[in-house]
Amino acid sequence: MLLVDWLYVGVFLVVGLAMAALPLAVVWALAPRLAQPQKRTTYESGVVPFGQAWAQFNVRYYLFSLVFVIFDVEVIYLYPWSIVFRQYGRYAFFVMLIFVGILLLGLIHAWRKGALEWT
Amino acid sequence: MPLPIEDLWAVSPEIWLAGLGLLLLVLDLFVPSGRKAIVGWAAAAGLTLGLVPILGLVGVTPRTVFFGTYVVDGFAIFFKIVAVASTVLVILSAMDVLRGQTQFEGEMYILLTFTALGLSLMAGSADLIMVVLSIEFVSLCSYVMAGYFKADRRGNEAGLKYFLFGAGASAVMIYGFSILYGLTGQTSLYAIASALSGAPRPAVVVALVMALAGIGFKVSMVPFHQWTPDVYEGAPTPVAAFLSVASKAAGFAVLLRLLAVAFASAPVDWITLIAGLSAVTMTVGNLLALPQRNIKRMLAYSSISHAGFLLMGVAAYAGEFAQGLLYYILAYAFTNLGAFFVAVTVGQRLGTDDIPAYAGLGERAPALAWLMALFMLSLTGIPPTAGFVGKFYIFGAAVQNGLIWLAAIGVVNSVIALYYYVGVIRAMFLMPPASAGPVGQPAALQLALGITGLGTLAAGLFPQPFVTLVSAASLLLRF
Repeated sequence: MLLVDWLYVGVFLVVGLAMAALPLAVVWALAPRLAQPQKRTTYESGVVPFGQAWAQFNVRYYLFSLVFVIFDVEVIYLYPWSIVFRQYGRYAFFVMLIFVGILLLGLIHAWRKGALEWT
Repeated sequence: MPLPIEDLWAVSPEIWLAGLGLLLLVLDLFVPSGRKAIVGWAAAAGLTLGLVPILGLVGVTPRTVFFGTYVVDGFAIFFKIVAVASTVLVILSAMDVLRGQTQFEGEMYILLTFTALGLSLMAGSADLIMVVLSIEFVSLCSYVMAGYFKADRRGNEAGLKYFLFGAGASAVMIYGFSILYGLTGQTSLYAIASALSGAPRPAVVVALVMALAGIGFKVSMVPFHQWTPDVYEGAPTPVAAFLSVASKAAGFAVLLRLLAVAFASAPVDWITLIAGLSAVTMTVGNLLALPQRNIKRMLAYSSISHAGFLLMGVAAYAGEFAQGLLYYILAYAFTNLGAFFVAVTVGQRLGTDDIPAYAGLGERAPALAWLMALFMLSLTGIPPTAGFVGKFYIFGAAVQNGLIWLAAIGVVNSVIALYYYVGVIRAMFLMPPASAGPVGQPAALQLALGITGLGTLAAGLFPQPFVTLVSAASLLLRF
């Protein structure tokens, strides 16, 4: 019984891989190839790159990413909450209100302290 | 499922502290940059008020709340009082040092408040996940506070070193906890206790040693002590005082609860292990303290050796003298905070932390010098100070539990310690002052110094009420 179950998984794996590989193989076989110098640039149809990637980045990226992570995590908690929301009703609502309120306070703090200013 | 309202009542101190921290966060936004001391006073007042719900829980029937993950018992309440009270004193001592130093003065008081919350959580954690979360909470706040003077090279070093050491120690500890979970399939310390008795011995030993790495880091136990002097030296002196007393006390709360509850019937002799670590810790700390010329480094090594004495109390936490550890923590909290506060004053007014700078302090600031002498004698363990009574109880507990050899090592170490503690007294009273003129002390610092000095004397002269207090607190919730 167990073995048969795994067989389904195996079939799906093989078919899935084939579905992904087949178009690539067809393109590789049929498409014409022209060696043009533009194709070797970093952004084929964008800004011409200059200098090295080892430049100093503004430290503010770091602040923004921190603030982003906080709200990223918030969303992770909101998903399971929304599943059980109907079951617990008002209680769940107020608990999440406190949680979001604390995060909001953090955002206001970051904002007032100038963490969101770029200049 | 909604939480029972009694559970919320049982964690009212933590709710108060969390609310206070958030409130200060908002307050800090509206206080202009020159008057951040307002945030400090508000934090000190709020934390003092926070003692009210904690004291309201004194005498409560020990029980677990939040599905068995958190404990409310006399033991946890005792450590919450120590954490909050020492945070108040540290804030009082910090306000003069921090004034106008950086633009982040308000954040420091907020961080101290949140750390007090984390320390309270550490004291009550009864679940591996809660233990890890609360230790990490405290650690993250502490890293930032240690590196507070970020423009200063030493401050930078302190923050980064503390962070790297702490991250490594936490990783090892969590690995140890994962082995514990693998052995028992439980995260609650009480459930682990019953499941561990039949576990294979080598795995239990590995888990115990790994868990000790993380907690040993927090209490600066040898061989996880190397960060201590560098961090204390580079961190603002009030923060060093905070790390040496509040963090350490909470670390011991977690250590004792983990060992006495989870490892109570485990097939491993943790008492001998802790006794050995105690002997090594106090000896290494003492010997390294001898050549120090910087008061903060000296106090750092001295705090390592005191961690050794406290470990003796952990190894001997049974029988009639079980309260020895708690009494020692109380005495150590008063004394060590006081000693650091003198260092704060001198460092602030004279601009140096070298012990030779204390020369002639007996003439320039008699009150300060006499207080420092009191703290030094108490750290050595000479009557009539709190340190003596603490050492008496801890040695008594060791002898009673058959650790006479450890008590003997402790006595020898106390004699060695006399040398470097008295060195400070000698500098203050016998050496001529380098420059004349009195050394002023700001009001908030005077208050903090007065409380710690009074506590050191009172706990030494009239130990009975304090003994009653710690005896009531020494009962650990066991199933």
